[in-house]
Amino acid sequence: MFNKDNKPEKFKDAETIIGASIKVKGNFHGQGNIVIEGQLEGSLKTEANLFVGEKAKIVANIEADDAIINGEIRGSLKIHQYLALGPNAKIIGDISYSEISIEKGAIINGQVIYVSNNNKVTRKISEENTSENEIKNE
Amino acid sequence: MNIYIYDDYLNKSKYNRILNRVEIRLTDLGLNGKIIRLGAIKNIRDVIQNEIKNGAKTIVAVGNNQTVNKVIGSVIDNELYGFFQKNILFSIIPIGEDNSIANSLGIKKEEEACNILLARRVKKIDIGIVNNYYFLNKATIPSQESILEIDGEYTLEPQEKGIIDIFNLKSSANDDKLLKVNPIDGKLDVYIKDKNKDLTFVSASKLKITNSKFPLVLDDIIEIKTPADINVVSGKLNVIVGKDRSFE
Repeated sequence: MFNKDNKPEKFKDAETIIGASIKVKGNFHGQGNIVIEGQLEGSLKTEANLFVGEKAKIVANIEADDAIINGEIRGSLKIHQYLALGPNAKIIGDISYSEISIEKGAIINGQVIYVSNNNKVTRKISEENTSENEIKNE
Repeated sequence: MNIYIYDDYLNKSKYNRILNRVEIRLTDLGLNGKIIRLGAIKNIRDVIQNEIKNGAKTIVAVGNNQTVNKVIGSVIDNELYGFFQKNILFSIIPIGEDNSIANSLGIKKEEEACNILLARRVKKIDIGIVNNYYFLNKATIPSQESILEIDGEYTLEPQEKGIIDIFNLKSSANDDKLLKVNPIDGKLDVYIKDKNKDLTFVSASKLKITNSKFPLVLDDIIEIKTPADINVVSGKLNVIVGKDRSFE
C-alpha cells in the first residue's frame, strides 16, 4: 500500500501536488486526489482523497473523502470515509470521520465525532421517500 | 491550396540540400503550393490572411519553434475572416534545431513531415495566450519572487529557487515521465521544480503571474514582462499531427 516515501500508492497519480517549498493561500477546491507537502492557508475541499505529508503546515478547514494525515492542521477536518492519522500528525481542530486509525505519536486537540456512513444513507433515503423510511431511521 | 512559410535562416547554403529534398518529396506527393519567405515580407499576418481569403486551406511553417510562433498568431488571430479560420489547417516541416514543438506533434524529420502532411491526421489543440502573445508548448519563469494566481481562487508562492513551467503541449525535450500534459483538455499544466527537486503540479484554465525580477518566456522565444494574464483557448488550432505525438 505504501511506497518508500510512505505515501500511499493511490496518490501516485494525484490531480494536484503541492511541494514542500510552496505556500498556498486561498480556497482550494478539487475533484481528484490531492497531495500537500507544503503550506496552505484558506480552505481545502476535494471530492476524492487527501494526503498531508510530514512537512506540511495547513491552516484551513478541510473536507475530503479519504485522508491520510501526517502533518500539522489547524482547522476542522471533515472526512466522509476513512481517516488515518500518522505518527507526526497534529490536528488542532474538530474532526468528523466514518472510519479512523490513529498511530502512536499523533496529537489531536479538538472534538472527534463519528458520523456513520449507514446513517448518512438512511437519512438520504428518508429525505427522498416516505415516512416509512423515517421510522426505519429511528 | 498549401502555403509554405519559409523562415529567414533557411536562406543559408547549409539548408539548400534539405530544402531540395523536401520540395522534391512534396512534388512527388502532389502537395505543391505557394512558398512565402518570411524575410521578404514585413507584415506576416496580413500576407497569411490574404492567402486564406484567396482559398488557402493549409498553412505549413517550414523552420523551427520560432517559425511556428511567428506563423500561428497570423493563422488564428483574425476577426474579419473568422469563418475561414475554423477550416484552416496548420502543420510544420521541421528543419534544423529547436524543433521541440514539431517533435511533440509527432513530426520528427523533414521528409517524414511531408508524408504526415499527406496523411492529414488532424487534431484540434489548445493554445496558450499571454496578453497578446501565443504559445504552443510552454511558458517558463524562475520561481524566485514569482507569485501565481490560479483560476482566481488561490495563489502559489514558491519559497525556494527553482523553475516554473506552464505547459500546454509536452515537448519531447522535456522527457520527464512525471509530466501529465494534455493539449486537448482545455487546461494548462503548471509544474514547479525547486532546487531540492520537490515537485508541485496543478492544472488551471487561467493564471496570473507576477515577478518583479524575471520575465516570462514563451516557447523559449518571446520574453514578456509581468504581471501577465495567461489563458488557454480550447481547441483553437487545427493541426496536422503524426502518429508518434506526445498526446492521444
